[in-house]
Amino acid sequence: MKLGLAYHGGPPPAQLLDLLERAGLPAGALRAAVGPALVDVGEVTWLLAPGADVLEACVRGALDAGIAGKDLLLELAPPVHELLDLRVCNDVLVYATPEPAAGASHRGRPRVATRYPRVTRRHFSVTGRQVELVAFDAAALAPGLGIADGVVELRSRLLGDDGGASAGRPAGLHVREDVAACSARLVAGRAARALGGERLAELLDRLRASLEER
Amino acid sequence: MIPEGMRDVLPPESGELRAIEAALCRRFEAYGYGEVRTPWLEYAETLEAVEDDTLEAGYRLRDQQGHELMARTDMTVPVARLAAARFHEKPLPLRLFYVAPSIRPWAPQRSQDGEFVQAGAELLGLRSAAADAECVVLLCDCLAALGLRGFRVALGTVAFYTALVDSLGLDDDREKFLEALAGRDYPMLESIAGNAGVDQNALKVLWRTLELSGTRDALSQVRKMASSDAMDEAIRHLVEVRDLVANAGFEDSLALDFGLYQDLTYYSGVIFEAYAPGVGLPIASGGRYDGLLARFAWDIPGVGFAIALDRLHEALEEAGAVPAAAPACIAFAGGLDEPARAMELRRAGWAVAALPAGAPAPPRPRLQRSGGSYILELADGSEVSGSWRDVLRALGIA
Repeated sequence: MKLGLAYHGGPPPAQLLDLLERAGLPAGALRAAVGPALVDVGEVTWLLAPGADVLEACVRGALDAGIAGKDLLLELAPPVHELLDLRVCNDVLVYATPEPAAGASHRGRPRVATRYPRVTRRHFSVTGRQVELVAFDAAALAPGLGIADGVVELRSRLLGDDGGASAGRPAGLHVREDVAACSARLVAGRAARALGGERLAELLDRLRASLEER
Repeated sequence: MIPEGMRDVLPPESGELRAIEAALCRRFEAYGYGEVRTPWLEYAETLEAVEDDTLEAGYRLRDQQGHELMARTDMTVPVARLAAARFHEKPLPLRLFYVAPSIRPWAPQRSQDGEFVQAGAELLGLRSAAADAECVVLLCDCLAALGLRGFRVALGTVAFYTALVDSLGLDDDREKFLEALAGRDYPMLESIAGNAGVDQNALKVLWRTLELSGTRDALSQVRKMASSDAMDEAIRHLVEVRDLVANAGFEDSLALDFGLYQDLTYYSGVIFEAYAPGVGLPIASGGRYDGLLARFAWDIPGVGFAIALDRLHEALEEAGAVPAAAPACIAFAGGLDEPARAMELRRAGWAVAALPAGAPAPPRPRLQRSGGSYILELADGSEVSGSWRDVLRALGIA
């Protein structure tokens, strides 16, 4: 079986690996894995790669299933089936600005820096607001650079959890609204569903059972 | 330079594609389908008679009178237009097929060329499980005839979906819900269902249905979940189609999939998609479109499918089953000066490319004159040197 796991540098989150192991998947060897890589563990070949790559591999039929964040699924809207919310790596995409009351500049429409241009455009347009998008991977730094009035970013990437210890981390961004709740999701490409339905159904049952155990 | 998303096709790929097309045409004709060709330009109005998201981005131009024209984005709509215009009130059923390119603006996530060739069949005038089954059987037969192994046709129905959504008791949000369902936008589904106060158990049934696909117990599970006559009827119809396809010998290639969805809005009944190992996207897709012909003022039912030639080619490559493009061509140095000898080989079925005498040695198989005798070097490494008669004998001609 070939499975994909979105990889963001550093070992995959422990709670996700715990969940996979409880479901009988050999994920222990991934604890020290460094990606991007193909890792063979028993019967399973793991693709450790950026989330977008995992999704692309699913779309192209190279994987039986993949695990990626809901944020990417929303942004890329790939033609995959989202099978299960794994309820780990929970996070929230938020709109944040430096001042609690800021958000509209003198130009009438705020500049919003983000790695999620599609999600951002949709979020503001369905709520009847106009923004100017700034594509910027390190979005949280953009207001400090003076190139954006606000950001749409995962909450965990916005605020250093360790308070003042995170030198250089952007300080003082205030969350103004939630855009979308995110968590790790199990997805499968359309071909995997058609060609390996039995295998997928079994994997789903095991994962669901280990989710309910928690 | 050529426009983004377009491509040139070179030998031997072009020959392989033609061999695949020819094999498909033979299957279509074996079932009594007749080939139609339509212009690649249609009035925009014609294509817009069908609501389809792909149209918005389609290529448009104007003729000298100022009419808006459009490059066709698929073949089903032009064939429906043709059938309604040219076969109106003629005896039914009507069986038509085509092998033709359509053009859509290229987008990276579509992983398809801007111009893509489809081979498809349309069965018009029959509204029955038997007609649905014929199309599925024809598709399976096409793929099997080409030697494609391990392919799967997923079979589902739009009717089950709509019946299921009806049972949820959504009123104003029904369309929005179906749209979210087609896009697999689960958060949207949940928020619509939440706003409409949908029963949580009913929603669980829906999720479970979407997940069950291609599994052996899908049918029994879905039967248990069916809670309305319309859902029962949709299941009964699918089972009937499946049994007929099994009767034709393709049971192992078929998988019922109640979670199957299609982006095209004109499908009204069964839908199906074919997948092959090593190719992520469907190599063929089709379904029933009973309302489509009515848009062209002839209210008859229809069902059909289209095979994506490039994806089928890729699948055949994966399976090591690409049909041979042409016989190996013998490069005949000096052949230009001896047309009669080159002709003799060609009449016997060999392909011969005549070159000037003394041309630099081309790849094998090759033939050259050396003084009074000939040297024939074949692709398998064997060599023959001797008279013309020896050459003919080595090639199995004399």
